[in-house]
Amino acid sequence: MKYTRWGLALLLALALTACGGASGTGNTDPTKVSGDIEPRAISWLLSRPADGAVITTVQDIAADYGKEHPGFSLELITTPDRPSYLQKLETLATAKKLPEFFDTDATPFADKLRARGDMVDVEKLLDELGMLDDYRPLALDYQRFDDGGLFLMPFEFELEAFWFNTKLFDKAGIDVPETLDDLVDTCGPLRDAGVVPIALDGQDQWPLERYMSYYPFRTAGPDYVKELKKGEASITDEPGRQAAGWIHDLGQAGCFPDGFSSTGYTDARDLFTTGKAAIYQIGTWELPTFLGDLPPATAGAIDYFTLPTTDGAVTDPNEFTVVSGIGTAINSRTFDPLVKDFVTYLLEEYPKRYAAQGRFSSTTNVETAAPESGSELFDKVVAQMDDLGDQTAMPWDTQLDPTSNSRLQQELTLLAQGETTPDEFLATVDETISENAPKYFE
Amino acid sequence: MLTNRSRTAVLVFLLPPLGLYLVAVVGPILHSLVLSFFEWDGLSAMTFVGLDNYRQMLFDDDIFWKATGHGLVYLAVSLFFQLVVALLLANLLTYVRRGRELVKTAYLLPAIVSTVAIALMFRRIYSLEPLGLVNAALGAVGLDGLQRPWLSDLDTVLVAVSAPEGWRFAGLYMLILYAALIAVPKELEEAARLDGASEWRIFTQIRFPYIRPVFLTTAIMAATYSLRGFDIPYLLTNGGPGHASELLTTYMYKTAFTSTNFGYASTLSVFIVLQCVVAVLLIGLVRRSGRYAS
Repeated sequence: MKYTRWGLALLLALALTACGGASGTGNTDPTKVSGDIEPRAISWLLSRPADGAVITTVQDIAADYGKEHPGFSLELITTPDRPSYLQKLETLATAKKLPEFFDTDATPFADKLRARGDMVDVEKLLDELGMLDDYRPLALDYQRFDDGGLFLMPFEFELEAFWFNTKLFDKAGIDVPETLDDLVDTCGPLRDAGVVPIALDGQDQWPLERYMSYYPFRTAGPDYVKELKKGEASITDEPGRQAAGWIHDLGQAGCFPDGFSSTGYTDARDLFTTGKAAIYQIGTWELPTFLGDLPPATAGAIDYFTLPTTDGAVTDPNEFTVVSGIGTAINSRTFDPLVKDFVTYLLEEYPKRYAAQGRFSSTTNVETAAPESGSELFDKVVAQMDDLGDQTAMPWDTQLDPTSNSRLQQELTLLAQGETTPDEFLATVDETISENAPKYFE
Repeated sequence: MLTNRSRTAVLVFLLPPLGLYLVAVVGPILHSLVLSFFEWDGLSAMTFVGLDNYRQMLFDDDIFWKATGHGLVYLAVSLFFQLVVALLLANLLTYVRRGRELVKTAYLLPAIVSTVAIALMFRRIYSLEPLGLVNAALGAVGLDGLQRPWLSDLDTVLVAVSAPEGWRFAGLYMLILYAALIAVPKELEEAARLDGASEWRIFTQIRFPYIRPVFLTTAIMAATYSLRGFDIPYLLTNGGPGHASELLTTYMYKTAFTSTNFGYASTLSVFIVLQCVVAVLLIGLVRRSGRYAS
């Protein structure tokens, strides 16, 4: 009896510990924060490459700010591997121990954090600072939640395209595909020419999920996925059916490398840059790689085409996947005059310093530094950036609830490998979304 | 019989590790047990759902049963390497006269190499495009027909992710078994040889019965480690393609940190703990029956 009582007490204590943690919320309205600045050490939890342009630029800016504010320092804690990062983020969010800044996409999970009052309203902040109009609308839209709320700051601006090797296209005697179905037709001649048609990082799963988003974006527009994720539209509807059929066709036509499901990011990129694969779908964050030193098989032979269209498309050819990278939230619980002052300085300084490194800024008030030797490819991308439409194909992995997304990604691999039929795929994913979406978006 | 003073000394020395064990092992297990009765995404308030998570796990979750089955295959492959191959190597090692230390070190090496390095290495070894070691070797001996992407083929992926785990620790268990084998009294073996016993008979009737307790302890260690195997399968395939190499551990991890369904993930973790306890009990039974038999 005595032991039972002790056992119950222990269980209760554990349960209370689990439910506990700091209570209350911070200040989500930045206009209400003012006062004396007291320099201290602050942190930023990131999921970006440690030697990437975003981090090096932020480090430079923080160092300069620290010179003017002795006692200030910014610790950048980066975990580029996204699944590991998300684990860290979720653990800290659960314990209400997130640092001053943290990276996240506008996912359903992040929306819950916002609903809990953990994020500062970035739209109000940019408005107060008079910077709102400096930003490209697409860059901000990418960071918005479904209701239009903007609680994440963009630090990049990239378009996603199909990069291709002109020498291999010539060798196979094919032209740039105009429609999504044409893309399937390019694979046969490329295989006959002895090359892998499309390099694909199957291990990370999001690259293949991009392909899933293309057909619905062209035939039904960007709203389809927003309705799908809430269970208001079904994956078995025509746009989803077309997408599944197309992925299956790509797989059957041998478009992807054998064993792509265990191919990692760098392996897929290397397959393309070494001239073994003809096409590689990726964002302009890889542009420096394509402009750098390349083997003879690809040197001077890289070009790109944007998302092909379809018959009866409802989106324009200049509308495709355009992203502003993982966003950064400001923790409302630690938002004080110092953080506000630093973020103001950061947002003022960042665009010009980032663009000076040859990268594309989320704002329109700076010009990206061109490569010293000049490059037609670079000029083409810059012109493309200025000629973008109003709508963007949102990556599905930032939209669907995590359980449905995870199942869709797993099943998609089987579909592309020809292990399941489009009907089986659609039935499984439909059941998963029907079961999980209502719980997540209630 | 301990004196009072000795008993106090024993208690004083035992209490800190016992306290540590309670906090670091029993505490989290109990915490998981409590969480398994809740639905919780880590942010919203916890909702008590009673046995719903257990009902879902046992009756509504096809992935759970697939992962449980995969776990048994994973266990079998790992144990094949860690017990059968290790025992064979340990036995062979007792016959080696020169370079024994070198062999021991070489076999132990994988156990100290980082898991991430092992996963990267095996991803290359299994690769088809570009051609990896396994497929290149098959091609070199004219078995081109057997070449395949081992980690993407649904028929081979489970064994392919299990083998590195077995290979990795085979050397370690080989050392343990080797230490037991060299403790077998030489006079027994020599007497058997004089009576005309073959080496196989010496192994099955003298050596193995003698090292049986050590072998069973090794089996407990290998089985419990394999049942909670996670890192190599997670890094190699993340449970894919589809769920073809999903283990309970990778599924639990994804349920917790991808789906943020901590309640259900705790239910899975409670099952994993029970599975390990059952495995240890089963091996314990085998051990006891062996003791009575002898």
